[in-house]
Amino acid sequence: MKVLIVNNMAPFVWGGAEELAVHLQKNVIAAGHEAEVMRIPFQWEPASRIPSQMLMVRAFELWNVDHVIALKFPAYLIRHPKKTLWLLHQYRQAYDLFDVGQTNLPPGPAGDELRTVIRNADNESFAESRKIFTNSEVTRQRLQRYNGFDAEVLLPPINDTELFGGGAVGDYVFAGGRINDMKRQYLLLEALSDAPRHVKLLIAGPPDSPADGERLRAAVERLGLADRVRLDLRFLPRTTYAEYLNGAAAVAYLPFDEDSLGYVTMEAALAGKALITTTDSGGILGLVKHNETGWVAEPQAEALASVLAEACGNAQRAATRGAAARALWLSLDINWPHTVEKLLR
Amino acid sequence: MKVVMFTPGLKASAIGRMATLVVHALRAAGHEVIVVRCEQEALMAQAPHDFGCELLAWTDLARVGAAVAGADTVVYQVGDNYEFHVGCLDWLVRAPGIVCLHDFFLGHLFWAWAHHNQASANAVLKLWYGDAVAAEYFRHPDSAAFIAATAETAPMTEWVAAMASGVITHSNWGVQRLCQACPGPVHVVPLPYNAPAGGPQAASADSRNNFRVLTIGHVNPNKRVGSVIRAIGNSPDLRDHTVYRLVGHVQTDTVVALSGLARNYQVNLVISDELDNAALVNAIDQADVVTCLRWPSLEAASASAIEAMLYGKPVIVTDVHFYSELPDDCVLKIDPDDEVATLQRALERLYHSPELRRTLGARAQQWAQATFRADHYAESLVRMAADVSRVRPALVAIDRLTQTLGRWGARTDLLSEQNTRDALRVFAAVPVI
Repeated sequence: MKVLIVNNMAPFVWGGAEELAVHLQKNVIAAGHEAEVMRIPFQWEPASRIPSQMLMVRAFELWNVDHVIALKFPAYLIRHPKKTLWLLHQYRQAYDLFDVGQTNLPPGPAGDELRTVIRNADNESFAESRKIFTNSEVTRQRLQRYNGFDAEVLLPPINDTELFGGGAVGDYVFAGGRINDMKRQYLLLEALSDAPRHVKLLIAGPPDSPADGERLRAAVERLGLADRVRLDLRFLPRTTYAEYLNGAAAVAYLPFDEDSLGYVTMEAALAGKALITTTDSGGILGLVKHNETGWVAEPQAEALASVLAEACGNAQRAATRGAAARALWLSLDINWPHTVEKLLR
Repeated sequence: MKVVMFTPGLKASAIGRMATLVVHALRAAGHEVIVVRCEQEALMAQAPHDFGCELLAWTDLARVGAAVAGADTVVYQVGDNYEFHVGCLDWLVRAPGIVCLHDFFLGHLFWAWAHHNQASANAVLKLWYGDAVAAEYFRHPDSAAFIAATAETAPMTEWVAAMASGVITHSNWGVQRLCQACPGPVHVVPLPYNAPAGGPQAASADSRNNFRVLTIGHVNPNKRVGSVIRAIGNSPDLRDHTVYRLVGHVQTDTVVALSGLARNYQVNLVISDELDNAALVNAIDQADVVTCLRWPSLEAASASAIEAMLYGKPVIVTDVHFYSELPDDCVLKIDPDDEVATLQRALERLYHSPELRRTLGARAQQWAQATFRADHYAESLVRMAADVSRVRPALVAIDRLTQTLGRWGARTDLLSEQNTRDALRVFAAVPVI
């Protein structure tokens, strides 16, 4: 079967969705099919350009393709008689983010019209899809609530499981992944300044912008944490990233209202690491169960400080919770062969 | 090329007469033409012009449909007269084609069409001219008030142009509006006309040495007959020696009003109503001067002005729109803001100078014969058909995209938004880098 994976493209931006598409391709091929990834440029600023880009996708005509797997808005608007959605993102600024005022759509009738157009186009695309999967329960619920379409949750597998074999409980909490305000690494630094001195922190990953990195460096300086914090702010080799993660006492990941389980959390669970997150981190809570697989704290420095102290103060407890996290992850039976089979069914 | 041309066929239609010339020119150039008469069914009984080819009635859906399906291009001759052009409106929606636009103002055509299509008409008005214009459009007390209120703000030209794949108009006036409304090409081509009898170019004075002034066509207020009467009446020389003749359909109340005005100004006015072609040619032959005044000016071009020039007559026109584009040394032009005074001076010049009448008429005739040619018009139609076929794929694509946006719930605001329009420019003939 010839399978086309369709995703968005923001030139020179590479993240989890891009990694997912590449690994999906690799695993579709491993399952005995032909597969390619088609990336369609999408620029959401200014918002008034969104409709023309939706039309562009809608106008594409595909030939020599047996099955399409589409991942994101507006790429999933592409027409094909055999289209499966693995929904990573709708245009959230027209849905839940609009409701909480975090939108780039203009206020008033112009913004209302854009939302109408996006919602109707989405509905048209959802209706013509053979099957809709979502990458998380949060995404599934959002789809149900705003569009009235049901979907099956299909959690993304870990791409390179062999790297996350775990290791001894270390003396630091690891915070990996992209560095930006939404991921709230700064909150961990503030918590650290309230935590006992035995607590150490390793923050590693690429800042989305120079300012994101500078903000962390300035906080370390301001809070006097230089001897307890290591910042490795760059795009890390996967082996380095895995080494940091495997050697940690616990892994903290505090995004605001993330859709999915989060690669950092999934990889930490596979490695048998105790997990730390906050009550408002959305899909992450699917893996982080308070006092079972790790700790769930209120998103405030004081609450997080005590969690950090506990994570670094009792290696046995951290190991126990890490083991529970690993068991929970494995019980989900999330692997690529199973995922590919479902997507192509 | 296989051409299907919708046009009024009856002899009373000047547009039909023009179309006859074009059909013959197309056929002489080797093209196949089928003519579809587009007047109301009740008028179909009237004898048609001699098109020299197959004639169909627009109501013969099967045969017209087959003709259109087999045509390389479909052409619609559209003027501001619903009774004469109803078939164009009916078929233009089903089979978009090239519109030859004879009147820039199409308010009367629209008004009558709206009588049968009220909901669509309101939507059209709102689309092109906004809610306020739509609300007032059908509330004007009479024709003059209607024209005065809508000629500039809502001429309905855009309504027809938007349905066309391309537009041929006959003067540069209003081209910008056409370009904004028509999705395809817009060309300006001189209106072809002829002087079939080829009569004498200069009238000789009659036995009473009268100066004969003529106005041709449906006697509407915008033909400024009252101003001509005033200009003649204000001048002792003109008043004593001029016979002013009107040839064309005229309402009874207009006859009464104009006759009264002429008596007051002591002007010798002759009202002849409609004449057949031979009598009309004779009337032109006998004229010393033809006045083709228009205010407001509603036509894309004036057949009567062209006809008068082709007969070698000195012509006086209003210095607006199509008429402004006539060469200054071929006609005399009147300032619409100082109409009666400038018209009086022009008539006096012509009255006192037979030589001016002769030279003006001769130059006009020479220029008109070289300009208003059916063979040139036919060549332009063929070029336009090629242009339209080139842009048609892009138009279809744009139509499909806008339909998609409409299906998704977009209103006009979004469809015309700058960023949306910029994106659609990828379909422009010349890529924008």
